Amino acid sequence: MLSSSLRASRARAYATVASSSSANVASINHGQPTSSVTVLVKAGSRYETKPGVAHCLKNFAFKDTEKRSALRTIRETELFGGVLSTSLSREYIALTADFLPGNEAYFVDLLASQVTSPRFARHEFQESVAPLVQGESTAAYNDPAVLALDLAHGLAFRNGLGASLFASAGNAVTNEDVKAYASKVFSQDNVAFIGTGVDESLLQKLVGEHFTATGTGAASSPTTKYFGGETRLAPSPESHAHGPQTVFIGFGSSSVSPELAILSSYLDPTTSLKWGQSTSPIANLVVPGTTIKSVYLPYSDGTLAGVIIQAHDAAAVKTAAVGVAKAISDVKAGSLTGDSFNVAVAKARFRLASQMEERASQVTAVGSKLFGGSQGLLESLPSVLEKTDASAFSKAASTALSSKATYVAIGDVGSLPYADELGL
Amino acid sequence: MFGGPLGISLAPAIKQNKSLLKLLTPIANAYANAMGHRQMGLRYDDLLVEEREDVQKALGRLTAREGFDRAYRLKMSHQLAVLHRPLPKEQWLTAKDDVRYLAPIVEGVKTEDDERALWDTMEVEVRKS
Repeated sequence: MLSSSLRASRARAYATVASSSSANVASINHGQPTSSVTVLVKAGSRYETKPGVAHCLKNFAFKDTEKRSALRTIRETELFGGVLSTSLSREYIALTADFLPGNEAYFVDLLASQVTSPRFARHEFQESVAPLVQGESTAAYNDPAVLALDLAHGLAFRNGLGASLFASAGNAVTNEDVKAYASKVFSQDNVAFIGTGVDESLLQKLVGEHFTATGTGAASSPTTKYFGGETRLAPSPESHAHGPQTVFIGFGSSSVSPELAILSSYLDPTTSLKWGQSTSPIANLVVPGTTIKSVYLPYSDGTLAGVIIQAHDAAAVKTAAVGVAKAISDVKAGSLTGDSFNVAVAKARFRLASQMEERASQVTAVGSKLFGGSQGLLESLPSVLEKTDASAFSKAASTALSSKATYVAIGDVGSLPYADELGL
Repeated sequence: MFGGPLGISLAPAIKQNKSLLKLLTPIANAYANAMGHRQMGLRYDDLLVEEREDVQKALGRLTAREGFDRAYRLKMSHQLAVLHRPLPKEQWLTAKDDVRYLAPIVEGVKTEDDERALWDTMEVEVRKS
């Protein structure tokens, strides 16, 4: 059995089939013990028509449809031993059902009805969606790291990709707004069914049976352009967060940028061993009480990479931020060559490759391919990285790092450093 | 109360029978006018017994405007009752304005409650295949 599944996985990573039915369908099947089907909708926050409407639409998932009520959806899923989940990213809303092989027919029907005939009852919006949206937003805004990244996207990309993931109380989204947005995005070209551990022809047949698109046309958002900028935010008095002092230093680009992947893995201070120090130039800045996290966020037509520095007092954050800014300016000057360059490339490749092991990343990668975006971004990047050499990197990196930095400071704005103090 | 939140009604059965419906419609209209709520500016759904959880839930699902109008009608009818004086005839509610604005919502809540009760008491059988 092992050998047969190995053979299957060698035979094809996954195959993409132009579907006879109205939706995009693909499956990644190498005999996984559980199956999942994801409805990927190009309806993330970058496509939204009103701030927060994508967040509301995500929380409207698995509510009443013309076919079955929300309660019935949940109870029946429980009987099948399935798990329903939703996720919202800047690009996609994903509705996922995980289940045991053999129950494909039921769950494809369930997922298809979510995008074919959602009811969007006003009372459901008031009674369960709106409180949930508000709760999620409050939780996000009370976490300085999440808030910093959200603000950083706004600074870096302004419109489109810069749109906040979370609905804020200031922008009242109504049920009608959600309905209008849904009727726009739940269209034939905008929805993809992606299975894992499901036979592709079966999935295709089931989607053809259950999914009938209401319209055509793909969602569009402004072309991504990197701007950069600085913002400082003192926590509002009513927020209950006594979160750490937080600084985000980042750079972006309006393309899929391998340089930033290498830079981000070079700076990443996570140790490869439980004991000992990483080879990162900022590893010595990680002292007890200070955390430094490197983030790399690739999108279909843009990238944001950077470092989140958190500590309990502003002085410690400042010390670390100065060090990080120096490491970045060293890279800009062309210090990343030789062995440390090779280490950074290897680390970046490993990180991206291991990310592709996750079901959600696989689904997104296949989805972006189906939607005709940049070809399977996460997959192609490791091979692009392999071909990058040090001189090409230092040239590209110095161009990328010469643009304006994205800088966010949250907390004690009186003591946290300004971007120009760090030489950014 | 018998027959759920909306009480007992023969209307669905009568509506099935065309000749019976034709016979009884004028009587029903005359009865609705004779009930007197229209003379006090009320709609029929304003008279619905509201001291029940399902009706309360339905009231919570009215739009802000509907809720405000309902409160206004009730307040006005109380005032008229105190004065022992119905509205002047030209201000009586017409049959056209006597909309069942609450009954469909109450029915929706009842359907939900029934469904929940059904799922809570379900028996699962293993499929024989």
